[in-house]
Amino acid sequence: MPKLNKFKIYIETGNKGIEEPARFCFNSHVLPLEELSGGTKPGETLEGGYDVHSVAHSMTLVGPEKGTWSLQKIKVDFECENTPPYSVEYPAVELDETTELNIWKDPPLPTFDV
Amino acid sequence: MNIITKFKNMFSSKDVGAKEPAQNNVVDDITNITSEPVEENNPFPEPEPVVRRVIRVPEVADDIFPPVDGNKVLIKAQPSATSDQCLFMLNRPLFSGHSWWFPTFETAEGSPLAERLFSLEDVESVLVNEATVTITRKDKNICDWKPLGAEIGTALRERLEEGGELISQKIISEMPSQDEIQEGIQKAINEEVNPGVAGHGGLITLEHIKGNTITIKMGGGCQGCSAADLTLKQGVHSSFRKFVPQVGAIFDETDHAAGLNPYF
Repeated sequence: MPKLNKFKIYIETGNKGIEEPARFCFNSHVLPLEELSGGTKPGETLEGGYDVHSVAHSMTLVGPEKGTWSLQKIKVDFECENTPPYSVEYPAVELDETTELNIWKDPPLPTFDV
Repeated sequence: MNIITKFKNMFSSKDVGAKEPAQNNVVDDITNITSEPVEENNPFPEPEPVVRRVIRVPEVADDIFPPVDGNKVLIKAQPSATSDQCLFMLNRPLFSGHSWWFPTFETAEGSPLAERLFSLEDVESVLVNEATVTITRKDKNICDWKPLGAEIGTALRERLEEGGELISQKIISEMPSQDEIQEGIQKAINEEVNPGVAGHGGLITLEHIKGNTITIKMGGGCQGCSAADLTLKQGVHSSFRKFVPQVGAIFDETDHAAGLNPYF
């Protein structure tokens, strides 16, 4: 399990936005995103992140308390300890009060050309 | 009625019988409170904890190879975390729609690609899957894959540039249908694998099948178990190959980090 120092997330909202603040769940602890800019209304892009400094077991983007949140694109930039920074991009998905989206991915194994 | 109450009533000149109903009422009230369901009397019931379903979507994969002109063979090597295996990814298919495991040099007979790879000294086994080759090395004490990886890259490139068939025609012609493979694997799970792991509270399920490539999920005591990899490689793999010898790659898609009750 790698130690996640911090992450930054970019969320592009589709045609169904939300009014409430975006939250994520790290190792079963629900937290609000910090250093926010942009928004979560239809067509807007939200940028946020968190200085975690903890060993990552799971991380999800939590759906809204009410209604549906249509996500067009999600990109997460991870900064883990002893690993080069890496990014993961997820396709369009819809979240509601019963769902959350897995956004954690272990650092990729290094590759080389042969 | 206790004796103290009797004396109290005597000195207060009240009718003893008059107290009886009051005490009985108290007792009746308590009986009523305890006998009624708690839910009906609780004006502020605690809300049930919300259990959300975790959606897992495959990430958007970037093309790992830049566009190239002509027929240039590009290969990337990715050693496993345990360094005993290395995955070689190519920019062209080697065995479209199927996979094949060559555990020994003898099994590579008639398959020019595997024969060429087994000519390298440290190659123990070869797994060909679509556009990838996974090599297991004999010397498990060497962690650096760059020297052997370069040799494997050269061997793959040379064999592809020579042209011709890569996998034996016998293997291709004798490949069972996907339905037959699925039936055999399910039989292996039901008759041998699951009864074996049931003692540890484990459960193996067939997640999906493509051609002869199998993906399973481990649940119960197997999910998150520190011996899951051992169970997979020494138990599940050998059992599947005993029931269906034509099984190719076997993948485990279990989210072991989410295991709630691992055996070890």
